[in-house]
Amino acid sequence: MQSNRIGYAFISPWLAGFCIFTIFPFVASIYLSFCRYDIISPPVWVGFANYDELFRNDPRFWKALWNTIYYALAAVPLGIVTAFALALFLNLEVRGMSVYRTVFFLPSIVPAVASTMIFMWILNPQIGLINSLLRKVGIEGPAWLNDSHWAMHSLILMSLWGVGGAVITYLAGLKDIPVSLYEAAVVDGAGPWARTRHVTIPMMTPVIFFNLIMGIIGAFQTFTQAFIMTNGGPEDSTLFYALYLFYRAWRYLDMGYASAMAWVLFLLVTVVTALVFRTHRKWVHYGG
Amino acid sequence: MADRRYTALRRAAIVLLNLLLVGTFILIFALPSPAQRAYPKRIPVRFWHMWSGEWKDVVDRIVQRFNDSQEKYEVVALSVPGGSADYKFLLSVAGGDPPDCMAQWNQVIPAWADEQMLVPLDSLMTPQEWQDFQATAYPVALKIGCYKGRLYGVTTGINIWACYYRPDHLRAAGLDPDKFPTDLDELWEWGQQLTRTDESGAITRMGFLPGWYSQYLPVFGGSLYDAQSGQVTINTPANLRALAWLAGKQKELGYEKVVRFQSMLNTGGFATQWPFISGQYSIALEGQWRVEQLAKFAPDLEYRTAPIPPPKGGKAHAGWSNGNFMIIPKGARQTQGAWEFIKFWSGVDKPERAAEFYTWGGWLPLSSKIAQAPVYQDYLRKYPQFQTFLDVLPSENIEVSPPVPFQVFLADMTGRADDFAMRGTKTPQQALEDLEREVAQEIAKRKRFGL
Repeated sequence: MQSNRIGYAFISPWLAGFCIFTIFPFVASIYLSFCRYDIISPPVWVGFANYDELFRNDPRFWKALWNTIYYALAAVPLGIVTAFALALFLNLEVRGMSVYRTVFFLPSIVPAVASTMIFMWILNPQIGLINSLLRKVGIEGPAWLNDSHWAMHSLILMSLWGVGGAVITYLAGLKDIPVSLYEAAVVDGAGPWARTRHVTIPMMTPVIFFNLIMGIIGAFQTFTQAFIMTNGGPEDSTLFYALYLFYRAWRYLDMGYASAMAWVLFLLVTVVTALVFRTHRKWVHYGG
Repeated sequence: MADRRYTALRRAAIVLLNLLLVGTFILIFALPSPAQRAYPKRIPVRFWHMWSGEWKDVVDRIVQRFNDSQEKYEVVALSVPGGSADYKFLLSVAGGDPPDCMAQWNQVIPAWADEQMLVPLDSLMTPQEWQDFQATAYPVALKIGCYKGRLYGVTTGINIWACYYRPDHLRAAGLDPDKFPTDLDELWEWGQQLTRTDESGAITRMGFLPGWYSQYLPVFGGSLYDAQSGQVTINTPANLRALAWLAGKQKELGYEKVVRFQSMLNTGGFATQWPFISGQYSIALEGQWRVEQLAKFAPDLEYRTAPIPPPKGGKAHAGWSNGNFMIIPKGARQTQGAWEFIKFWSGVDKPERAAEFYTWGGWLPLSSKIAQAPVYQDYLRKYPQFQTFLDVLPSENIEVSPPVPFQVFLADMTGRADDFAMRGTKTPQQALEDLEREVAQEIAKRKRFGL
């Protein structure tokens, strides 16, 4: 009992912060989503008006939602495949491998704003690295972030910059696969591809599942790149859900509306995550 | 024995840690505020602004002058990062502890005044002072500072845009710098003659790039706001004419060519990086602050200025304007002290004294009284290019963003419509029709929400 109290005393600063800055706003936002609220004046109850407005009268809401889903559908699988493939390469027994692992991990610890600024230069239509290289082989690259057909794809490609963190989890998973499984597979005459297909991938499904869930949640919250690089443009092509929510809240002081948007997003992410969870019995194999 | 020693050590460690924790808290709260007070016995007036770098130095000098002139108040200035200044201000008002005054340049007056967040500054004047203010302030200063007939912001610097041009480029192209175009289409023709491309067709020098829609609306006689009815006006013939002209010229240049040209310019935001200095623009539409910057960073550059020429049937000395203005939030502890500072800086009470401050920042004054002050006249003699802006300043044809509570939304949507039309994704007519519908939806939504 005594030791419990001491334990609670030690975590009390965090507990207080968590309650005040996370739990309270979380609960308050449910109420605010049914209000007209602009920070300055007290909230005024409007019932389901914010939700009604969102679903029936706001085409930009649907545009932002579609953009975000499109991004999630493209960036999450691409991130998983790339990170997994990289992890397979970085798992090879080659001299100096720790250096390669460090090199691939490093970009993921560069602050998002810094890497975003770098990509603005890399994707510059005239003097950027990518278009300069393309020009050398006779191709005039697109205007990337300034072209509504390419801006979203630029951000999807850019998302690969941060796969280092996922690579580490895949590497840890790969190290955890019992060698006996590979030995048995070799005895059965399995080649490298068969071993990957029938041993490595099934044994890695828990890690893939974890990264899939985290990737989906992260993709639905995409904000920084679009905020800094494109401001949602050109022509709303990179207007992400979180960015539109932010504009509604802080540019137009429409906190009630933004709260409603936040709850729609929360429910959507919950439903998608639950659906993915429901499928996991069919394809995730736990070694134990 | 060992157990007892371990327990004693553990207790000592816990006591020490607790003492350290309590000590840290005491130290944090007991430390003096980082903002040093030069006159601790005076009443502090907390002033927020968003300037940094060379501009912050100018603001600090003005604050210093005010404090030197005072015995009662001390202005304590705080430079707030521009990107988050509005949020900080809103939260400070909501939290009941706002600054006493703030220098702003964002489009905040209609929305904030509508929320009853700002002190009407005319309430701090006598009826005679308010009358004098309205009679002497430039029309654009009143447009920037007023909302529904009340004054919420006093300008300390107005921005006017005009053409900067390089006579060396003009001469080389066989154009006479002394006969700058007085018609917008003629200016466009000049721009075409001045533009240079490389062998691949990429633009290497832009003769003249018109700019953004809001700036040209008044030039074509259009406007997004009807002051008589207090209504937003979007899809009007004059507004359409302006957008169609801009979209047409953009098409002639080639949208992608312009994007590629602009993307290779060194536009890091520093005064020295302005492409006009490096000769990548021959004629550029820019604000009056460039005069001061060119004097500082490119003193040997030969350049001249001229008002934006109107098209046939358009308006002379027209354009869009904004400015720096001072506001006092409701809940400010030192409203009177803040008002004294605003009067001091803006020149509401002593125009001759304030004239000097305007010259420090290369700012356009609040009233003609300030412009006529000897020190301001000296400034004009020193920088004759500045005269163009002062000539345009009294014009009734200078427009500001519509004074409606959803001004930021309107500005965002207008910029979006402009972008659609420039890219050619929508025809100018379609872009304006869509904009009109979007704004009508927002107005209807506000009505449904009782706003």
